[in-house]
Amino acid sequence: MISHYKHALAVGVFAAGFMISAPFAAATEYPLAIENCGSTLHFDAAPERVVSLGQSTTEILYSLGLADKVKGTGVWFGPVMDEFRDVNASVPRLADNDPGFETVVAQKPQLVATQYQWHVGPKGIVGTTEQFNELSIPVYTAPADCVGKDNAGGGDGVRHDRFSMDLIYREISDLAQIFDIEDRGAALIARLKDREARSLAQVNASGNSNVSTVFWFSSAEIKSDPYVAGKNGAAGYIAEKLGVTNIIDSDEEWPTVGWETIARANPDIIVIGKMGRRRFPADDWEVKMDFLKTDPVTRQMKAVKNGNIVVMDAQSMDPTIRLIDGIETLAQAVDRLSATN
Amino acid sequence: MFEKAPPQPPARSRAGRAYLARSGATVAALILLAAVVAIAAAKGETHIPLGTVLQTIANHLWQAGYEIDPIDSGIIWNYRISRALVAAACGASLALSGAVLQALLRNSLADPYLLGISAGASTGAVSVAILGLGAGMVSLSLGAFVGALVAFGFVALLAIPAGRGAGAIILAGVAGSQLFNALTSFIVTKAATADEARGIMFWLLGNLSGVRWDDVYLALPVAFGGLAVCLWYARALDGFTFGVESAASLGVPVRRVYVVLIAVAASMTSVMVSLVGSIGFVGLVIPHAARFFVGTRHGLLLPVSALIGAIFLVAADIVSRIILDGQVLPIGVITALIGAPAFALILCHGRVLR
Repeated sequence: MISHYKHALAVGVFAAGFMISAPFAAATEYPLAIENCGSTLHFDAAPERVVSLGQSTTEILYSLGLADKVKGTGVWFGPVMDEFRDVNASVPRLADNDPGFETVVAQKPQLVATQYQWHVGPKGIVGTTEQFNELSIPVYTAPADCVGKDNAGGGDGVRHDRFSMDLIYREISDLAQIFDIEDRGAALIARLKDREARSLAQVNASGNSNVSTVFWFSSAEIKSDPYVAGKNGAAGYIAEKLGVTNIIDSDEEWPTVGWETIARANPDIIVIGKMGRRRFPADDWEVKMDFLKTDPVTRQMKAVKNGNIVVMDAQSMDPTIRLIDGIETLAQAVDRLSATN
Repeated sequence: MFEKAPPQPPARSRAGRAYLARSGATVAALILLAAVVAIAAAKGETHIPLGTVLQTIANHLWQAGYEIDPIDSGIIWNYRISRALVAAACGASLALSGAVLQALLRNSLADPYLLGISAGASTGAVSVAILGLGAGMVSLSLGAFVGALVAFGFVALLAIPAGRGAGAIILAGVAGSQLFNALTSFIVTKAATADEARGIMFWLLGNLSGVRWDDVYLALPVAFGGLAVCLWYARALDGFTFGVESAASLGVPVRRVYVVLIAVAASMTSVMVSLVGSIGFVGLVIPHAARFFVGTRHGLLLPVSALIGAIFLVAADIVSRIILDGQVLPIGVITALIGAPAFALILCHGRVLR
């Protein structure tokens, strides 16, 4: 009976997803004025040339089928999504990290889209918004980096409101509107929302409630206090969305918390970050895994003993389009958890 | 001048009493040290009942066989006790190095970081963490250790042609520290995001959170070995307090003592900095406090400095963990917060600085 019920629920959610994904959207009317991060951007026509700084923003543009408009990319954190490997190979990569101002301008962009104000913003290290505007190049900033977030102090900024996937959806719909492809934007959002809903259904169907977790990004020193996800960041959203308890209740996005606190909270699942970055030894997920299994305290934790350590792409724990992958990864882990219990 | 001399107690009994007082004070200090280590084991980020703490210690020392949650016992034995022991070794080493350098250089402001060690350690650590030197294979500790040695080497090279005397060493140390601090600032300003810079600064101000037993096995032998070498030269250090020429005329092999003791102080400090970051004020203040209690004879001053340093740093570590709820302050902040006023107090008392 229960499995029948689960099945029916899954089908229901699936059907609901399909209904959302029947898009209807009008063509964009130019001149277009669009609100973005506290300023208004004006477009007389859809831009033909865009430089994209930030992997997530670039992947959103690719997902919208706009690769032919992308004339340069920068700020990469890892390999591009598999499905865009060929597309990406044909787009000039201006820099792996931050390209210089003149390199960006040399592409003659009609739009610069940036994932982080750290790169292009009031104090951007690639260039300030003002610098680009002086050359009549509008700058579109990912809403995830400015809504509910204070970047005045420079650097990574401080998020004071909880992150929500809606900010990524807003980025998608804004870009779709700017490029006059609103139907494609609506379809993409519907697909992503459908995946969110299916993951939630998977967790609910697993019959496993009160699951707790911790997201371990990295550590400055492997044995020292780790950087873990607080409740306001993207990883906090993943947990909240799936009804999983994040044992870290901090307002900070990536606070450092001692192993003593984490071990005693003893979460059901430990999520460890996988990334291309190699600044600290603990950036390597295998080093993290090895620590958990050998440290005299962490090896006693139930997640380690029961093998409930989940490797997650670090970009899926940050405000990016890949957050959906993170939701699916954690949902599967919760589902598996019930299988082992 | 011709007043009647006060009656002198018989020499032997005076020496005997002094010996008793000394050993009494030493035993008291050791008990105090054991007590702060026990408190350190009982206090932490999370609350673990005192009974569990005592049972864990009994289990490990006498195989008492109490049933304890393995996570709780692991936290107490592997995190907290190892941490307290490293703090003790570190405090002892820093205080000892300070006492030795103050005597050797005849400068009451000398401290272990005078030799460029903390500045070099910072440069090494930021090179690893921010520039990515070593491509994720080199730990912050190793980077800091190498940086400290490079900076010390630079200071030593600078001091030799500058005249090799105390003044030359101090000036070379100041120059070396400034240079390496400038390098650190350059790297941080050029390459670090605000969060990275904050993380590194936190680490550099002293952080005992990653300490485990393998660190104890490094820190304790270094501290005891350093103490043994310094005690071996205690009489020579007594000679130095009257100046290099007096020491030479007393038959002290001046050059050798300089080289050996400065090398020992530098290596002890480098190891400790690489383990826990640069914790300030211990090496400067504790020797003065110890002199205040036991005078300037190094046979007594050195072990007492080491003991007080150990007690002080374990206590400071406890304070750093409990002063802010749910947050650990860098221990260097605590030592400076306590150390600076304490130093002022000693300064006003004056006589120790003669």
